[in-house]
Amino acid sequence: MRNLLAFLAKYNHWFVFILLEVICFVLLFRFNNFQGSVYFSSANAVAGKVYEYNSSVTTFFNMSQSNKKLSERNLILEQQVRALTQYIATHHGDSLAMEQCQKQALAGFKLIPAKVIQSTINREDNLITIDKGKADGIHEDMGVACGTGVVGVVYMASDHYSIVLPVINVNSNISVMIRKRGYFGFLHWKGTPSDIAYVDDVPRHARFALGDYVVTNGYSSIFPPGIMVGKILHVFNSSDGLSYRVQLRLSTDFGKLRHVCVIDNSALKDKALLLKAAQDSLKPRDTSKK
Amino acid sequence: MSIDIIKKILLLTILVLAQVLVLNNIHLLGCATPLLYVYLVLRINRFCPQWANLLWGFVIGLCVDIFSNTPGLAAASMTLMSLLQPYVLNIFVAHDNQDDLKPSFRTLGPVKYISYTSILVFIFCITFFTLETFNFFNWLQWIYNIVGSTIITVLLVLVVENVRRD
Repeated sequence: MRNLLAFLAKYNHWFVFILLEVICFVLLFRFNNFQGSVYFSSANAVAGKVYEYNSSVTTFFNMSQSNKKLSERNLILEQQVRALTQYIATHHGDSLAMEQCQKQALAGFKLIPAKVIQSTINREDNLITIDKGKADGIHEDMGVACGTGVVGVVYMASDHYSIVLPVINVNSNISVMIRKRGYFGFLHWKGTPSDIAYVDDVPRHARFALGDYVVTNGYSSIFPPGIMVGKILHVFNSSDGLSYRVQLRLSTDFGKLRHVCVIDNSALKDKALLLKAAQDSLKPRDTSKK
Repeated sequence: MSIDIIKKILLLTILVLAQVLVLNNIHLLGCATPLLYVYLVLRINRFCPQWANLLWGFVIGLCVDIFSNTPGLAAASMTLMSLLQPYVLNIFVAHDNQDDLKPSFRTLGPVKYISYTSILVFIFCITFFTLETFNFFNWLQWIYNIVGSTIITVLLVLVVENVRRD
């Protein structure tokens, strides 16, 4: 016993070391799927405040107030223009009913303006911190856009700050489509450079041209349809040869991102809940088959 | 003693703020990022108890992690570095020397101090970038990151050490 104690006393630092490293690795590996770890991120109150001060100094030179309003207005107008152009392109049947339908689709979304207080663009795991949180009505899985296009999805929210998983994160996965052609795929990012992304799973029979625009398709409950994503630069075959991989230039400049809008999708919550309920009811049947 | 602790905490605050607000935004040639907070571990006394040493490294790493959204990354590397720090320091101190010295330009001499710094920073950069690129392995970028960041960090540490000497 005495020997054991002496041994422990002599080598106590190794045990401290192992304990600390275990804590580090738990943090390292659980962060990506652990929504509760908001205190170990830049969304906690102290870190958020520091970044807020820092960003208020940097945005002072950018006329922050007017920029915010313009970016919000721009987003609304752009969305309307896109909705209308699509409406003209696919004009069939009862025009009055269709117009009403489109107005309703846009009315369902509330926009919450927010300011970017911290962001990175040169890692694989880029994250953006914004200065609005649960107290302002932001929750996980809300979409985020800015005047020039799509930004990302809210990943975790604390009371006054939230972290956004932007398009330029290797884990981001947003459902998009090619405008006017209707073919859809999934938007992925493969690391630097920060303005080039890829759309995977575009079917081989799809017909489209270089220079076509890619927009969100609105199938998920996160983004309304028609928010700009980027412009097609190049087309490759996917690695299995069964679909196209489309390379595109993102319309959002993540290096200059200052003012964004969080899209409140409460109108689409019901749709998401319904989908989840349907999936849940299907699950037991799947397992019983196996 | 308490003055010493306050000085340490003050230096920690300054270096962490400098790191997260300024240095983290520097990517020279797309690879070299100065990681100046390692300086806090480089300054640890020779006979400081090792558990305190480790906890200190862990806390510094965690502070930086919280700000840069990489929980556990810098903390894990800093803990490893503070474990190895006394052993590396002992290589450069004569065996008959029993002083509780604080590693610096003055106490070690320029050549020994530069080698001591380079070895520890290199070890730190290897762990740091290996953990960072864990699921996205691009070995050329990994080597560039390690070499670039080691060089720029060592240079910055030497500059800070030189300024503090006077």
